[in-house]
Amino acid sequence: MLVETAGLTKVFGEVRAVDDLTVKIPDGAIGLVGPNGAGKTTFLRLLLSLLRPTAGTAKVLGRDIEDGLAVRERIGYMPEHDCLIPDMTGVGLVSYMGRVSGLDRDTAMSRSHDVLQFVGVEEERYRKVAEYSTGMKQKVKLAQAMVHDPQLYIFDEPTTGLDPRGRSEMLDLVGTIAKSPGRNVILSSHLLPDVETICKYVVILDGGHQIAAGELSQLLSGATDRLRIDVRGDRDAFVRLLKDADFDADIGPSGLHVSRKPGLEAAVFETAKSLGAEVRYMGKEIRSLEELFLELVARTEKPGA
Amino acid sequence: MSITLPTYSRLEIPLLGRRQRVQAIIATGLRKELRRPAAIVVTALGAAFTTITSIVLLFFAPFLLPGQAHDLTFFALPASNGFVLFFVSLMAAVIGSGLIADDMQSMAFTLYLSRPITQSDYLLAKAAILAPLISMVTILPLILTALVAALLGLFSWTIALEAMGISLVVGGLLTLFYTAVTLFLSSLTRRKGIAAAGVFAVNFGLTIPAGILASQINNPSILYIAPWNNYLAVAGAAFGASGTGIDWPQALVILLGVTVLAGIVTYIRMKAVEVISG
Repeated sequence: MLVETAGLTKVFGEVRAVDDLTVKIPDGAIGLVGPNGAGKTTFLRLLLSLLRPTAGTAKVLGRDIEDGLAVRERIGYMPEHDCLIPDMTGVGLVSYMGRVSGLDRDTAMSRSHDVLQFVGVEEERYRKVAEYSTGMKQKVKLAQAMVHDPQLYIFDEPTTGLDPRGRSEMLDLVGTIAKSPGRNVILSSHLLPDVETICKYVVILDGGHQIAAGELSQLLSGATDRLRIDVRGDRDAFVRLLKDADFDADIGPSGLHVSRKPGLEAAVFETAKSLGAEVRYMGKEIRSLEELFLELVARTEKPGA
Repeated sequence: MSITLPTYSRLEIPLLGRRQRVQAIIATGLRKELRRPAAIVVTALGAAFTTITSIVLLFFAPFLLPGQAHDLTFFALPASNGFVLFFVSLMAAVIGSGLIADDMQSMAFTLYLSRPITQSDYLLAKAAILAPLISMVTILPLILTALVAALLGLFSWTIALEAMGISLVVGGLLTLFYTAVTLFLSSLTRRKGIAAAGVFAVNFGLTIPAGILASQINNPSILYIAPWNNYLAVAGAAFGASGTGIDWPQALVILLGVTVLAGIVTYIRMKAVEVISG
């Protein structure tokens, strides 16, 4: 297991940032998603052993987070916010972080060149970090997380502030790392398409609680007893007519959702014919992560829904 | 863009221990400071002025201080050189004030703590960057003065060596005090200018008013509030010189107490910062 927690809790005053979190996260590329204040950053800092849990236990790569040094030796952390030392050069900073991680001087320098080349900071590596663009700073942040070649990478909002090209490049880099053997990734992001692109397993947090966790493909495939229908035409009238015909139908962000029942297919096409609408897709309900996320958050906001 | 992940493996090269990680922070920090013109100028001027004035005092003591005995008590004079107070304040402000404040400002503190080091490792490394530089003003000139005195035959080697040993201890005490207090002030703010102002406030803002007030109301116990006066009392006693108006044991307790307290509070502050900034 990559991460294993049992009743993990962190309380700040009256705020329960992480509340009784019990989760088993397998090796691989893991997405950590949740709205602002869901407890993602607190959870990551608990895993890094930068915070002491109020209650519960956690293991990262099989090591208890109480043993913070051993845990952090195996983790490369890319924080969300700007955190680079502005008056150092790119190569100087990455090499320095390698040495603080425990690499000897020569190895740290050699690896810093390797990882800077990998992230695409080449000629600029001798310039001071203060002169870098946002995209280059993000890449140097990634490089410093890689320099000691950790088993686990923790990326906290790695595409924040990047333009579309920069975002695409960053996702390529993170994706390459995630696919490399022996390396694991926890990607925390509120940009759900990023998580969908990179991760195979996802943990969704809200209010410090885990509201869902599992293989992304399984979570996104909806209930087998429902169909999704894409209709070109008057969708409201389409749903109304299906309901009149005693079918359980509603409109979602990705189309109409209808419960399976004998005679459904015939009813759908009859309704389309009567409205002059076009049925463009009728099949298994597959949600985007965003839809799943909104659905789960709405459920937790309205208990019993 | 063609990208390939480097093929090295961490497992092939075991990571070095905590001591080497702390040493890396110290070495990089010292190298950085010794490349900054302001730090170089202040350190060089501080070491030169305090050393030269102490040696000048050595030569002209018979004229300037006619009754001064040529024994160990003489070395209380260079130890109480006013340039030490001035330059130690300047060095603490120019070099020490930014050591933690700059990391807070740039949020590099998060980067340090995401590495396999602890808050105490970080603080120890920062202290080890500042202390050697401060000791250029607090220890080195005193030792050089005693050395020159012995080389010129003005004092016996026995006295000079004893003076060097005492200089190391009292200078070390002053170094520890200013290192701890400066790092404490630096940890309180993200703006090093405020920390630098704090250093001057601790020194001159306490020393001058304490001196004036003590003489005005004729109550020397007020002198205890100024670290410099406490240092003078301890240094005077260590070299066997006559008293400065306050008792050295209390002065020593105050200096050590403030040093330890500043260290503890800074450590607690460091532990809390990560939570607050998150």
